[in-house]
Amino acid sequence: MSYLLETLTKKKEIDTIIRDTIDKVLVLRFGRSSDSLCLQLDDTLAKSARELSKFGTVAMVDIDSEDVQVYVNYFDITLIPSTIFFFNAQHIKMDSGTADHTKWVGAFHRKQDFIDVVEAIFRGAMKGKLIVNCPLPPERIPKYQLLYKDV
Amino acid sequence: MTMEADSRAKKPNPKPKPKPKPGPNSTNTKKKSEFEYCKVCNRNHNEGQRHKYFPSHTKSLSNFLSRFQNKITDIRFFLKNPSVLRPEHASRNRFWCVFCDFDVDELGSSFVCNNAINHLASVDHFKKLKHFIWKYGGAMDRVDAFRISEADVAKWEKNCKSLKSEATSVGEGSQELPLGPPNDIHNELNFENMNNFEKNTIHHLNSNISNGVMPLQYHTNECQISGSGFLGVANSGTNLHVVTSSLPADTCSTMSLWNSNYAMVNQNSPWNGTNCLGNVYLSGGMYQVYQDERVESRDINSQGLQNIAQVSSTVPKEAGGNVNSGAPPPWLGSIAQKEGGGNVHSGAPPPWLEATGGDKLELIPVLNSFISSNKSGKSKLNPKRVGAAWAEKRKMEMEMEKRGEIVKRDCDPNWLPNFGRVWQSGSRKESRKEFEIEKQKQPNIQCQSEMPVTVQPYISKRMRRDTTAYSGDPYVNK
Repeated sequence: MSYLLETLTKKKEIDTIIRDTIDKVLVLRFGRSSDSLCLQLDDTLAKSARELSKFGTVAMVDIDSEDVQVYVNYFDITLIPSTIFFFNAQHIKMDSGTADHTKWVGAFHRKQDFIDVVEAIFRGAMKGKLIVNCPLPPERIPKYQLLYKDV
Repeated sequence: MTMEADSRAKKPNPKPKPKPKPGPNSTNTKKKSEFEYCKVCNRNHNEGQRHKYFPSHTKSLSNFLSRFQNKITDIRFFLKNPSVLRPEHASRNRFWCVFCDFDVDELGSSFVCNNAINHLASVDHFKKLKHFIWKYGGAMDRVDAFRISEADVAKWEKNCKSLKSEATSVGEGSQELPLGPPNDIHNELNFENMNNFEKNTIHHLNSNISNGVMPLQYHTNECQISGSGFLGVANSGTNLHVVTSSLPADTCSTMSLWNSNYAMVNQNSPWNGTNCLGNVYLSGGMYQVYQDERVESRDINSQGLQNIAQVSSTVPKEAGGNVNSGAPPPWLGSIAQKEGGGNVHSGAPPPWLEATGGDKLELIPVLNSFISSNKSGKSKLNPKRVGAAWAEKRKMEMEMEKRGEIVKRDCDPNWLPNFGRVWQSGSRKESRKEFEIEKQKQPNIQCQSEMPVTVQPYISKRMRRDTTAYSGDPYVNK
C-alpha cells in the first residue's frame, strides 16, 4: 500500500519536503517496506492520508538507503517503524508516556488513532507548542524498550 | 477542666502567626506575617518578597505598565513636536508619575508637557523608577522606556527655543493649536461632511424644480447623515427623488414599505453605490408600474441601471390595464410574474431577493465586513504558531520562485531540521551542534577502528607448535 504515498530515498528529497510543507503537519515514516509492522503502519497511513490532506502530509522514508543514514543518526532512529512529525520545518515532540518523545515508534492500532494523533499535533503546533500530549489512552500506545548505547 | 480552659484560651487568637516552615532556605521567617501594600495589584498582602513573582501580580503589572506607557508615548510625541501650550489647555495636561507618586502639572509652563518631560528626565525619577522595578518586578531592561534621556531633552529644548523665537517674530497670529492629531482629524471630517451635505442638497433642489414637487423629508437622521454620501452617487440621486415624488398619497402602506426599504438599505452601508440604489430603485420601479399614468417614470426606468432592465421590460405589458378601465390591479392578476407580480400584501418576496437568486444584494454590505473579518482570522493564521516566521519566509520564496525572480536554489546538503535529540538535554540548537561534532568525530573513529583489524593475533609458541586447528586464540581481543 505504500505505493500510494511517496517514498523518499535521498536526503535532499527529505529536506525539500520538510521545507516545502507549510502550515501542515508532515508525517515522516522511517522504516522498511518489507517489515511486517512497517507494512501495518503503512496501511494505516495510506488509508488516512487523504482525510488528513487538508492539514497534513504523509511521506515514507526508506532507512536502507545510504543517503538517509545521516537522518537515521540525527533522529536517533533505532527501532522501526519510527514516525516523526514536523510542522513548518520544526520538529514537534509528543509525549505519549513512552521513553522517547521525539518520535512515534510502532504502528497504530486504528486509523482513527493516527488521525487523532495528527490532529493533536496540528492543534498544538497552531498554538505554538513544540511538544504536545498524546490523545490516546495508554493501552493503545505501543510499548518498547529504549536502549542507550546497547545498555 | 483545666484542659478545656487551656484549649479555650488557645482558641481566640485573632491573628495567628503561621509557624515558620523549616525549609532549606528559611532565613526570613519574620517577614511572612507583615502586610504590605502592593501598588500594582492594589491590595495588601503578606506574601513578602514572593509576591512580585506571583502570576496575578505579573499580569496586573503588565497592565499597569502598559497603561502608563501609553501616557508616556503621548508625552514622547510632544517631545518630538514641541508646541506652545495655551493656558486654557494647561489643566488637561496633568500627569501623574506612578513611580514617584508625584503629580506633575503644567501651570506656568510655556510648552506642552514641559514639566512632565523635565520630570521624566530627572535623576530623581530615574532612581525611583529603579526602586519600583526592584520592588515590583518588571523587566529591568525596560527602564529606558519610562524615562527620557538627556539628549532627547536637549533636542526638545532647542526645538522649543526655536519655536519661541518664531512665535515672537510672527506675533502669534495663528489660532490653530494642534492639540494632537485626533482633534484635527475630527475637525477636518466635520468640515468635509458639512460641505458634502450642502452640495448634495443643492443638487437635489435643482433637479426637482422641473417636477415642482419637493422631495419628501422622510425618515430621521439616517437619511441626513448618510444622505451626504449616499446621494452623492451621480445620476441616481436625482432619480431617487423623482421616483419618490411620483408616488401618490393614497398608497400609504406601500410608502411605509418604501421608507423601511430605504432605511434598511441605509443601515447596511450606503457606500455600495449602485447596488443598493438598484435595490431601492427596483422597489420604486415596482410601484411605478402600478401607477401607469406616470409616463415620466418609465423614462427614468430606462436610464441605464442594469437591474431596472427587467422592470422596464414588463412595463409595456402592464400598461394595458388601468384603474379607470377596470382592469384588476396587477398584483392580483398575474402573481406568477416575478417583477411586477408580487406585493407585500400578496406575500410575495421582494424583487431584489428573487432577481438575484438569494439574498446576495441586500446582505453583501453586511456580509462583506463579516467575511473580511472572518477571512482575516484565517488568512492571518496564528502568528504564534510553530514555525510561523519560517512559513512566511518560505511562502515568499516560493512565490518568487514561481514568478521566476529567484532561481530555485538547492538547499545546503548539510541542512538539518530543528530536532531535539533523544539522549540529549538542552536546546535544539545545541543538539544540532552536538550532532555536527559527532559527525566530525565519526570518520576519525572509523579510521581508528580499522587499526585493530590489521593487528596480528598473538599466537604463542606453544600454539604454533601444535598443529591442531585453533580457531580462536584466547589472546585476541575483540
